Amino acid sequence: MERRHRLELFPERSVALLLFQSVRNAAALRSKAVAGALEGALINPAMIVDPFQILVAANKAVHLHKIGKMKTRTLYSEIIFSLSPNNNISDAFKKFGISDTDTAVLIVLVVDSDKTINLESIASQVEGQQVSLDELPQLTDTARVKKMYKITPQEEKIGTLLDSVVCRMSTKDVL
Amino acid sequence: GLFLGRAAVAKLRVPKRYRHPALEERLSRRRTAQEARSLLRCRRAGIPAPAVYFVDYVTNSIYLEDIVDSITVQDHIYSVQQSGSDTSSLHNLAEKMGELLARMHDEDIIHGDLTTANLLLRPPVEKLDLVLIDFGLSFISGLPEDKGVDLYVLEKAFISTHPDTEMMFQALLKSYAATSKKSGPVIKKLDEVRLRGRKRSMIG
Repeated sequence: MERRHRLELFPERSVALLLFQSVRNAAALRSKAVAGALEGALINPAMIVDPFQILVAANKAVHLHKIGKMKTRTLYSEIIFSLSPNNNISDAFKKFGISDTDTAVLIVLVVDSDKTINLESIASQVEGQQVSLDELPQLTDTARVKKMYKITPQEEKIGTLLDSVVCRMSTKDVL
Repeated sequence: GLFLGRAAVAKLRVPKRYRHPALEERLSRRRTAQEARSLLRCRRAGIPAPAVYFVDYVTNSIYLEDIVDSITVQDHIYSVQQSGSDTSSLHNLAEKMGELLARMHDEDIIHGDLTTANLLLRPPVEKLDLVLIDFGLSFISGLPEDKGVDLYVLEKAFISTHPDTEMMFQALLKSYAATSKKSGPVIKKLDEVRLRGRKRSMIG
């Protein structure tokens, strides 16, 4: 149900994605995460077009973490920040992190590739239903994504929304 | 290979040992940044170019979308010329190329290394779906001189790699002029640059 992906550039690390719907305790989860009591990045699935988007953010975060050049304080907050098309950290948390009233939550974990992770301990803390990542497209708010990433009408003709989103994520620090 | 599950191309900047290390680092960094910037600019303007997946500023490498099963315009021209079914399809291709370059220049993007090997055709080839690649030498400029030089580089590449393609390039320029509102000064500069080129008399 959950998805696991090894990072080609950092083979000793893997990314795990868990998706939950009908979540009732988003507020509690959020405060736990902020306090550091919950392992993982809590992301708002409405802003996510495809798991690839998360993987790109995670890849960048792991890279920056490795060379000591993260802009935020933890690996997980860096993943959330990497999703943003701009360099405003608090804006990234607001738009891509979860809010107290959200009912869908995407949890991203970065683990060592050879270790088996105890997903149960994470899933048990969520008062909601774990669903397959295949449900993600239904949760995506395409209009909001287009607005956040400022996708131009010309762009839509030359590639997918995912292409545009990932492009902005990966090149935001060059401008 | 595969990058996070998608077909990707890794552009690794091989350090040139003949360069002074300080220069090498600076140049590599600049070219990587310019490439990333131009690719984003192209995308925003709707100019077909690969999507950027990851930029590594430590090794100055870029991980890009792999345009799967594409062929370069260079290879396509070779194969068409070999089989003999010429004029019309290559003429249309030239028109499309002119149109694409005009749109790129209208966004003030100078490719810097225009050759037929840096233009890809997505399958199926008949659709003439072009994609520009290799923006390593690109930069942003509004000057007709820079745009003229960009076209000149392509013209030289055409003549040297593909014999008997003068008509093709003419069609390209015609389409360029028709598509870009700022083409007048650019074509003028192109004519000037042609007169300036290698083995040209600059007396007077």
